[in-house]
Amino acid sequence: MIDTRHLFDRRNFLSHSVNGLGGVALASLLSREGLLGDERIRESAPGKNPIRPGIDAANPHAARIPHAKPRAKQVLMIFCSGAISQVDTWDYKPELIKRHGQPMPGGDKLITFQGGQGNLMKSPWEFRPRGQSGKMVSDLLPQLGDLADEMCFLHGMTGKTNTHGPGENFMCTGFTLDGFPSAGAWTTYALGSEAEDLPAYVAIPDVRGTPQSSVNCWGPGFLPAAFQGTSFNAAKAVRNLAIPGGITGATDAATRAFLQRQNHRHLQNHPDDSQLAARIASYELAARMQLSIPEITDLSKEPDYLLRDYGADDSGNKILDLRAAYGRNCILARRLIERGVRFVQLFNGAYQTGGEGVSNWDGHKKIKEQYDIHGPVLDQPTAALLKDLKARGLLEDTLVVFCSEFGRMPTFQKGASGRDHNPSGFTAWLAGAGVKAPFSYGATDEFSYKAVEGVTTVYDFYATILHILGLDHERLSYYHNGIERRLTDVHGRVIREILDSA
Amino acid sequence: MLYFQMKQRLSLLLIASLGFGRGALAVEEIEFDTHIRPIFEAHCTECHGEEKQKGELRLDTPAAIRKGGDSGEPLFFAGKRDESHLYKLVSRQDPEEAMPPKEKDALSKEDVELIGRWIEQGAKMPGDGEVVTLTTDHWSFQAVAKEHRHAGVDAFLNEALADNDLKPSNRADRRTLIRRLYLVMLGLPPSPEEVTRFVNDDSPQAWGNLVDHVLASPHYGERMARHWLDITRFAESNGFETNRERPSAWRFRDYVIGSFNSDKPYDQFVKEHLAGDVLGADLGTGFLVAGPHDIVKSPDPNLTLTQRQDELADMINTTGTAFLGMTIGCARCHNHKFDPITQRDYYSMQAIFAGVKFGERAVKKEANEAGKKEVESLRVSLAAAERELEQLRSLAAKNESGLSALRPAVNARLNTESFKARSAKFVRFTIKRTNSSEPCLDELLVFASNGENVALAKAGAVATSSGDLQGYPIHQLAHINDGKLGNTWSWISNQSGKGWVQIEFAKPSQIERIEWARDRDGGFTDRLAVEYVIELSDDGKSWTAVASSDDREAFGGKPNSETFLTKLPEAEVIRARALIAESVLARSRIVELETGGKAWVANFSQPGATHRLYRGEPMARREEVPPDALEVIGSLGLAMDAPEKERRLALAGWIASADNPLTARVAVNRLWQFVFGTGIVDTPSDLGTNGTPPSHPELLDWLASDFVAHGWSMKHTLRLLLSSEAFLRSSQPNSVAARIDSDSRYLWRFPPRRLEAEAIRDGMLSVAGTLDLKMGGPGFHLFDVDRENVVHYHAKEETGPAEWRRMVYLFKIRQEQDAVFGAFDCPDGNQVIPSRSRSTTPLQALNLFNSRFTMQQAGKLAERLGDSQDRAARVYELLYSRPATAEDLVDAKSFIERHGFVSFCRAMLNTNEFLFIF
Repeated sequence: MIDTRHLFDRRNFLSHSVNGLGGVALASLLSREGLLGDERIRESAPGKNPIRPGIDAANPHAARIPHAKPRAKQVLMIFCSGAISQVDTWDYKPELIKRHGQPMPGGDKLITFQGGQGNLMKSPWEFRPRGQSGKMVSDLLPQLGDLADEMCFLHGMTGKTNTHGPGENFMCTGFTLDGFPSAGAWTTYALGSEAEDLPAYVAIPDVRGTPQSSVNCWGPGFLPAAFQGTSFNAAKAVRNLAIPGGITGATDAATRAFLQRQNHRHLQNHPDDSQLAARIASYELAARMQLSIPEITDLSKEPDYLLRDYGADDSGNKILDLRAAYGRNCILARRLIERGVRFVQLFNGAYQTGGEGVSNWDGHKKIKEQYDIHGPVLDQPTAALLKDLKARGLLEDTLVVFCSEFGRMPTFQKGASGRDHNPSGFTAWLAGAGVKAPFSYGATDEFSYKAVEGVTTVYDFYATILHILGLDHERLSYYHNGIERRLTDVHGRVIREILDSA
Repeated sequence: MLYFQMKQRLSLLLIASLGFGRGALAVEEIEFDTHIRPIFEAHCTECHGEEKQKGELRLDTPAAIRKGGDSGEPLFFAGKRDESHLYKLVSRQDPEEAMPPKEKDALSKEDVELIGRWIEQGAKMPGDGEVVTLTTDHWSFQAVAKEHRHAGVDAFLNEALADNDLKPSNRADRRTLIRRLYLVMLGLPPSPEEVTRFVNDDSPQAWGNLVDHVLASPHYGERMARHWLDITRFAESNGFETNRERPSAWRFRDYVIGSFNSDKPYDQFVKEHLAGDVLGADLGTGFLVAGPHDIVKSPDPNLTLTQRQDELADMINTTGTAFLGMTIGCARCHNHKFDPITQRDYYSMQAIFAGVKFGERAVKKEANEAGKKEVESLRVSLAAAERELEQLRSLAAKNESGLSALRPAVNARLNTESFKARSAKFVRFTIKRTNSSEPCLDELLVFASNGENVALAKAGAVATSSGDLQGYPIHQLAHINDGKLGNTWSWISNQSGKGWVQIEFAKPSQIERIEWARDRDGGFTDRLAVEYVIELSDDGKSWTAVASSDDREAFGGKPNSETFLTKLPEAEVIRARALIAESVLARSRIVELETGGKAWVANFSQPGATHRLYRGEPMARREEVPPDALEVIGSLGLAMDAPEKERRLALAGWIASADNPLTARVAVNRLWQFVFGTGIVDTPSDLGTNGTPPSHPELLDWLASDFVAHGWSMKHTLRLLLSSEAFLRSSQPNSVAARIDSDSRYLWRFPPRRLEAEAIRDGMLSVAGTLDLKMGGPGFHLFDVDRENVVHYHAKEETGPAEWRRMVYLFKIRQEQDAVFGAFDCPDGNQVIPSRSRSTTPLQALNLFNSRFTMQQAGKLAERLGDSQDRAARVYELLYSRPATAEDLVDAKSFIERHGFVSFCRAMLNTNEFLFIF
């Protein structure tokens, strides 16, 4: 595959020689310098050509400069698997309260995923004004509500599917189908990472398991495997990180040293082969990760007050146990951001097990009962995470993204006390670097059913996130199987209305 | 940008067939040149004319107007103003899609009416009636050259080398060559003995003989199949969030391996992929449905239609890229931006596949004597394996319960009842309690002492029951002894929690073993008989119980687990796992041989009309299209309602034709890539305008025509490549040449490359002496599987002999990657992968250096070599196919002294020299 070779071997000497010069200059060199001929000048969007990141084969995660001056350098994505209800959290609708119990006008014609359409149902949680802005947020997430002034809400989000797997694929990769690179993979492909001894991209799955689209959410798709998310959380280490059982540290180090001597002897017969040099380097980096990953997942040195803030110190019942586990993942997320990891994806909610809505936000049948568990688990630790990031000055360079695969209906399902899927209108929010806050963009109709103002597609969402990272979503592309592929497919508009004026 | 001269036949046909409608009532005859052209010139051609062509649309010539823009939407349907795109745009019906775009530039009412009437009157223009066709001058659409300046791979290559001032490197040494040949063509390293034999072979035919030997090896098919399975996005689960397994999908994989090994002519191979059901090769059609499949249907009809459109798009994309090197899928929403493929072509292609559905079905069996013999011997070994397993189960039960010796609890997948052989003519299975609902049995197998299943209906046995659940064709009494396994061929009682089924054999037989299950496919665990008794009888009146749930452990709610394994000592666990694996393989092979068995292959039904969809939106149906191939290459000439099979057969014949300019080129280019690492065209699935031009165009054409001339024999073409001087060149770098051609696309040297995930794993097992080379059959699993509505996969912590087969036999789960080798750019089966990335990451290093798999195989390698004096030297021979140097040995010996031989093996399995082809 031509582009991969471009990335990984032929240009190695170039990236060494221009080390520090950065991606743009290198990219322009790359597009001119061609093999026997040239790389085809392909279009990634009408009238636009791809900008290829200049990737050093020996260190594919080295930081690269973006296409333009970035507003944020890192991303922390908080993903609520199972479709968190906007109706019960962020999207306040007085008309819904007024018409509680009545049929939704035109509702009988609507298509639902699972149950028949019941009547309009106000949220079981009260909404109140929060912060200076007075933004209405429900009592389901009171501590997050108190941080409403930090948030830039996108109330007009829309999806393309009302089933979970394709929905999570869509929200994480820009495609409903399996097999496309995740947003984090695109980001690290473009930008590498500042974190030298840590993976460039970390996914932190919920302690209850992977999300519904499983590893698709952080997969590399057809990008080189170098750009996949490495998944671990505070409870479960990276596989194959530890020295194998029965091997002493001294023997382990000596074995690696012997391996490298053998490799170097071999390299003498193949000087300048960057693939071989890259493999040698990868063992050195792996060795450093063996120290740095356990160090970063070890929360024992975090002060007690901090564990308390995150709800990570308390246990004893189901809610507290889950909250503590998620809280520890939140602390881990902060530590990763602090160390410069480019893209951190923190999951709340797992695959479906034990019935709907038990292990994630899929509240079809008993939303009150289920969200009374999920709400407290999410609320305090996430709020503590935001506050902690802010206190440490990390929000200056970090864009925080809160999202879910789609939203839920303002009605209850017939014969149930829960809400069905709704991709027609839901809420995501951004915070931190690059965005206005407090700010609300877009709106659903009077019931929170359908986006009617500032309608935001997932393509717009990612065009904007990439823009904030200094990346042109129309020029960040990868040639695969005959097509210049993009995170935003052939769509996407940067929502300039929400960008910080800075 | 290169563009093609495209002229539409569509509008001409419409004019002829649709007549003049309302236009006949019009007072005035509208003339294109007089009335319409001036409107276009005044309002449109600034953006859609000679200078600019927004949306690839021109309105300055009749031909361009007939062609339309890149939306694929014809500008008009003659006689139908309201359905015509042009009219909709200029009359500004949808403000989002109005032309000209700005309200202030809108056409006057009079002009709009003139356009409307012109369309109603037939949209007549100068040049109507001329027969015109789509053409292109892009190289890959031109016929493969028949005249060649040279013959033979090297003649072309050497000329290009000379033209570029490149000096070819010398030949590599023989050790390097045999190792290269084995790794490239078999994916396995040669043994030290094979190396020595070749190094000492003085025959002038030594290399040719070795090439022949390798091409004749059955492992050749395994290696090539792995490439092909990437290109056909093969995997054995549905993907998406439910990601259920496809337990019989492996049969397509075996079909591919067998096809390569028998050197099936490529044209036939292609045809069988598309229409194998008609050509006596049912399994080939596994290709059509090898891709992901979303089984959670959205209740929104628009979304459900989109899901179906996505399924068909997968078939079109894969067919287009795999065989034609054309990204036909790009024309789903609009005309192809780069290649001469219209949106209409796309939907015509869709009409070919419109009757293809996903699912498992019975396939026709291959009848032969060898098969019968194989069944007999399988039965004998199966019975032996079952007896041994039964002993292990009892042992486990004893281990657990001390004195009492209860058998393990029932499970949904398989239960065996062994007893002292006795004569009977009847067997009765009575269910007293289930874990839920009416009981279900998928098959009752009753084995006589000679290993024969005497319960089979076709052996003359007759089934009766206490009553059968009505209304489900998949659940019938006849299914209890039809030889077909799994839920879709099962019996369900009509009573909740109970019922009996009885089988009368053709003649009295010595019975010694009975097997039964709820669902041998493992998909279902409900309706399981947890309390039961099995009785035999000579006369159908007096019964003797021979087995029951009484001596089993109580059912504990784990219907699928082999719980007894946890209660066995380690050595027995390994043995038990191997026996289980053996018995699964034997069973499925017996079914396959006896009945043809089931396979995940395409299902077919006659489809309704296929319409072009405006912007690819399922609700935006436009004109009906006939099943057809790419217009630029030629038409299949099929009727709109052509029978489903004929459609696929016609397409298959069109693709697998010597006259198709793409097919043979794409095929030989892939073979070139498999051998040299990069194709002559390095975008192997895209020979279109957006792909890269060939590095050696004349060579590509020579190879393609030679391939066809030699009966599309892949082994023939491979032999040419492997016998070339280029293949034999050293891979040593040369800084002078590298400055001109660093990738060695001109093959001044053999370009080295890292092995793929599968070849690394296979190689490790091979040198450790643990590789099980058994071919075919259901794959091995690297996951513990948890089946709810959605299926969860948990990577196994430990692997054993059952998992030590070649990785092409891995049960390939979509999304989920092997915990060690997935990181080596292993595809996840969701996308067509025409060539693998070869990235280098620290995660790979961690996996290969620290995994239990590596430690285990390092241990096995050490064990294999024992305490012999030369064991370190042997490692170099095994792993590198060369003797150790003095320096190697000094270093190795001092390391081994301090840190042991296993650690040495661990390091060596991680070295570059072991993991690369040089």
